[in-house]
Order: sequence, then C-alpha cells, then structure tokens
Amino acid sequence: MRIVYRWVTMAALALSSVAAYASADFEKTVPAQARGTVEISNVAGEIQVSGWDRPEVSVRGDLGAGVERVEVTSEGNRTLIKVVLPSMAFHNGSADLKVQIPRDSELDISAVSAEVRVANVQGVQRLNTVSGDITSELVAPEGEFKTVSGGVRLRGHGVTARLHVSTVSGDVHIEHAAGDLEVGTVSGTLRLQLDTASSVRAHSTSGDVSFEGQLGHGANFEATTVSGDLSVRARSDGFRYEVSSFTGDINSCFDVSAERTSKYAPGKTLQGSRGDGAGYLRLKTMSGDIEVCDRK
Amino acid sequence: MTHAQAEDGRVEWEGALVQRACAGDTRAFERLYREHAGRVYGLCLRMTRDPQLAEDCTQDTFINAWRALPRFETRSSLSTWLHRIAVNVSLAKRRKSPQVEPMPEDDEGGGGADFTLETPVEVREIETAIGELPDGARDALVLHALYGYSHGEAAQMLGVAEGTCKAQLHRARKLLRDRLGVEVN
Amino acid sequence: MTEPKDPAARVSSLAELPRDIRPPRDLWPQIAARLDTARASSPLAAPPSARRPPRLQWLAAAAMVASVAVGVWIGRSVLPSGVPGPVRTATTNSSAAPAAALVDAAFVTDPRYQRQRAALLQSLQAQLATMPPETRTKVLASLATIEKAKQDLEGALGKDPGNALLQELLVNTYQDEMRVLTDVHEAGGAGQGT
Repeated sequence: MRIVYRWVTMAALALSSVAAYASADFEKTVPAQARGTVEISNVAGEIQVSGWDRPEVSVRGDLGAGVERVEVTSEGNRTLIKVVLPSMAFHNGSADLKVQIPRDSELDISAVSAEVRVANVQGVQRLNTVSGDITSELVAPEGEFKTVSGGVRLRGHGVTARLHVSTVSGDVHIEHAAGDLEVGTVSGTLRLQLDTASSVRAHSTSGDVSFEGQLGHGANFEATTVSGDLSVRARSDGFRYEVSSFTGDINSCFDVSAERTSKYAPGKTLQGSRGDGAGYLRLKTMSGDIEVCDRK
Repeated sequence: MTHAQAEDGRVEWEGALVQRACAGDTRAFERLYREHAGRVYGLCLRMTRDPQLAEDCTQDTFINAWRALPRFETRSSLSTWLHRIAVNVSLAKRRKSPQVEPMPEDDEGGGGADFTLETPVEVREIETAIGELPDGARDALVLHALYGYSHGEAAQMLGVAEGTCKAQLHRARKLLRDRLGVEVN
Repeated sequence: MTEPKDPAARVSSLAELPRDIRPPRDLWPQIAARLDTARASSPLAAPPSARRPPRLQWLAAAAMVASVAVGVWIGRSVLPSGVPGPVRTATTNSSAAPAAALVDAAFVTDPRYQRQRAALLQSLQAQLATMPPETRTKVLASLATIEKAKQDLEGALGKDPGNALLQELLVNTYQDEMRVLTDVHEAGGAGQGT
C-alpha cells in the first residue's frame, strides 16, 4: 500500500508539473478616456505597452498556469490591469501582457520581475519594477523610472522633458533625451546622452557616470560619486566649473591643471570658467577619476 | 498633449515633490527651486529694479516657502503661491519708504487692457520703460500684464483694492504710451 | 528656465516679455545653507498631515537624515581644518569609531534617525525575502557598497575633518542608504496579493 501511495503521489506530482507549464491566452478590451490613467501591475513575465489613437485599452496576454486571473476594469478616467496570483504563489505565476492604450494616457506600472517596454505613450509615465528591466521611448514631457536591480534604458527624440530615474544596482542608459534629468544609483553605471540639457543631477556611490551632450545656455550640471569615475563631455556656450576629487585624478581639456586643496591632506580641485560662463558644472568624487571636456 | 493635460500632470508631479519637501527632503525642494527660480527672480527683479536686491528677494522667497510648505495645498498652483511670497518679500525689501503717490484717476476701463502694442517695440526699450514706472503702477503692470494674474489676484497680492489695481494699470498704460510713443491697447 | 528674449527683439505685447529670468548666479547653495535654520522653527516632529499617505513616514525618515545631515555639514564646514569637533561617544560603526569620534557626527547619534533606521533594517530581511533571489543579492551588495563608502569617507574625514567635499559626499551616502532602505521597503510589498 505504501508503495502504491508513493507511486500515486509521484504520478500526481508529474502531472501537476506538466500542468504548470500549460498557458492560457487572455484578451480583453475596455473603453477608456483619451487622456485617462492606465495602471498595470504584474509580478513576472513581460509588460509591453504601446500608444494608439483609439479610446480603448486592449489587453492581450499569454498567462502561465500559476496565474489565477487578469483583472481589467475601467472606471471613470482610470483603467486598471492587474495580474492576480493565488496567495503564496508569489514568483510562480508569469504573464506576458501586450497592452495598447490611448496615446495621451498617463501610465503607471508596478512590476516585480516583469520586463517593462513602453513605446509611443505621450502622457506622464511612472514605471516601477523591482528587478525587471525598463525600456521606454521618451515622448512624454515627464517620466519617473524606478527599479531596484533592473536596468533602465530610455531613448528620446530630443523632446524636452523632466525625467527622474532611480536604481539601486541597475545600469541606466539614456539616449537623445533633453531637458531636466535627475538620475541616481548606488552601484549601477550611468551612461547619459542628452541632446540639450537644461539641468542634470547625476549621482552614484560606486558606479561610473558618463555624460555626453549639449548643455543649454545657463544649464546646471552636477555629478557626484564616492568611488565611481566621472567622464563628462559637455558642449556648451560656457559655464563656471568646480571639479574636485579627494584621491582620484582629474583630467580636462581646459588647459589648466588641478590644484591641491591642502598642503597636508589629499584633494585636488579645478575651478574656473569657460566660454560665457553662464552655466554651472560641478563634478565631485572621493576616489574616482574625473575626465571633463567641453569639446567633442 | 493639451496644455490642460500637461498642467494636470505637472500639478501631480509638483505635489509629490512638495510632499517630500514637507517631510524635509531638501533635494526635492531643490528641484522645486530649479523649476521656479527663473520666474521668481524675474518678478523680484522687475519689482525691485535691482539685481542684487532681486537675488536677496529670491533667496528669501524660497526660505519663506520652505517654512510655510506644510500649509500649502497641493492642488493649488505652486507658482502662484511662490509669487505671492515673492511679492510680499519684494514689497518689504524695497528701500524707498512707501511713496505717497497721487491716486490715479478713476479707471476709464483701462483695467481690461491686454497691453498689446500698436507697433512692435524692442524688448530692451519696453523693459526700460517698465523699470521707470512708479512703484504702484509697475507692480500692477508686472503682475497683470506679464505674469497673467487677474485684477483681483494682483490686487490681493499687492494688498490694495481691486479698483486701485485697475487704476494703477490704467496709469501704467498711459505712462508707457507716453514713454514709448506707441499706442498701448 | 526659458531663454531670455534677445533685447533687440521686437514684441507686440507685454505678455511676450520673458517671465523667466535666470539669476546671474546659482542661488541654491546659499538657500540650502539657510534651510537648516529655517526648518529648526518647524520641527519634523510635527504630526503628519492627515492627507499624507502612511508610506511617506519612511520618506520622512530619509528626509530627516537629509535635513539633519545638512545641518551637520554646514556646522562642520566652518571648522578649521585639523580641528576636531565635539567628541561623540556613540556611533553605529565601531570600526570607524576612532575617526568618527573626531568629528561632529550628529546624524549618527540622533535618536530619531537611529529609530527609523533600525525599523527599516528590521523589516529589511522580510522585504528581501519577497524579492527574487538575484535582486536580494544585488540589494545586499549595494548596501555593502554604501557601508564601505561610509567607512572610507569617515576614515578620510578623520584625517581632514574640515574637508567640505568629503562632508558633502558623506551626507549623500547617508541619504542614499535611507533611500535604498525605503525603496526596498516599498518594493517589498509589490506583487504581494496580486
């Protein structure tokens, strides 16, 4: 009897593991206001969002067997899309969602390890993940992109926007952005390219920070690290600059050499003005090396 | 995106920054400063006509705003709220003791002017002319014609009656017309 | 800020004049220096507004470090280099104690900061347990990076207490730690109950 019981149990386990790999398709479309808010939450899998010109939200999903259901509800100017897992089934349910929303919608996404990809959404974006990567096209005037360990990749078209990007350990790669950027990480790498920057504040503890782009007239640029290296190529009509490193090296194309800040302690600084001196550039690190230039 | 939608998004964005700043987050407050410093300084400069004084006014405006942030209602316009503070600070800081200016003549309907010029004029010439206006007329003109506040809002900011504000605007229009040599509608 | 109009440009309406005029210099450093004393008259201990969501108490913890630490930074920036500030006997990091003892590290001993940090650390393991394993590893590695940065900065400040660069970076690092703890606290709830 014991052997039979064991065989039955093993068979049941085998069947359940086969069932675990079964997936289901999901499809639902609801009306939505052209300039409403769309909120999406998913644990694992993928969330792909694209904007269109219909007053509808369309959700198509490929759901793993661990997913209990997908709720899609529309009330007033809010549309909610939520992947529901059975309690305690955390991380065992995965859903790949393809969502189309009115182009001018505001978009809020909350994901754990789902990858997030957004394109052609012109409303304010607030994308949060724990470990999923975030990839978005920058056409909205504002965006907040936050992840703990995922990477963030943003590609713009030189449209002015206010962007706030934060990771703990993920890397950040921004291309062809413009406007006001605030970006921070602890150990990720920041690679920033802005077509025209009016304000940049970049901060890292140990990750390297590199910036290449044009600073607008009178722009403020500030980058600080504790041990990461800083590499800045900022074309500009001019700025006042203050570049400091406690134990790292400072190299620039400014035809001046860094000076010791103290006779008795480490520390170097480079201060001065370039061009019309209208902007402000400030680079600070404890032990990282700094390279700065205002020419291509 | 429409202007209204952009404004709604902006209010929510700023609301989040204000909440963080209320909790003492100076970085959030710095972002608010970066966003609004230009307008605050522009207002202070036009009211005080002195760049150094305008810098002091700008600093004091943001310090006062920091203290008063817990009382700010996030659904209101932060820009307007900052301007109210800036106007108070500028009025207090102006070195001249309050002039007893002759009351302007009764409003001849000039309060409803858009301050458009019959003939385009150089920016520097207009700015000089505005700078030469008497304080009361200049204050009303800057708030209404440049910063877009209604008569009631401008009057409240300046601590005068709405009728007085309209009369000051009428006076400003006449003085600008005389100074610039073009009709100001 | 908008670009100032070219002074020689012609306009047909006063509404076309620039509203934004950039100050000749960045006023933020002076403003920041004055914020500390300004906030002293509005203590953070004031009860939170009814409309503030509960999670912001954690942001308040981070912000408290920011405001207290700014005060410390400003206070220490006026100390002549090489002159130690008042000695504090309690630190959170015994390995950095000799260096920390030489500096006026008020934020290390502030009881409110200690309580909030302790509460966040206490819930840290539980929050990490809800995250994917790879993320858990990366968060712990980042917190270790921050801890090392603190030690390196405090060690360097021990030798050069008046160094404004190091003070600023140390303030940033304490703020980063609170921000990471807060972000993990918030992210740890994501996905639960979905």
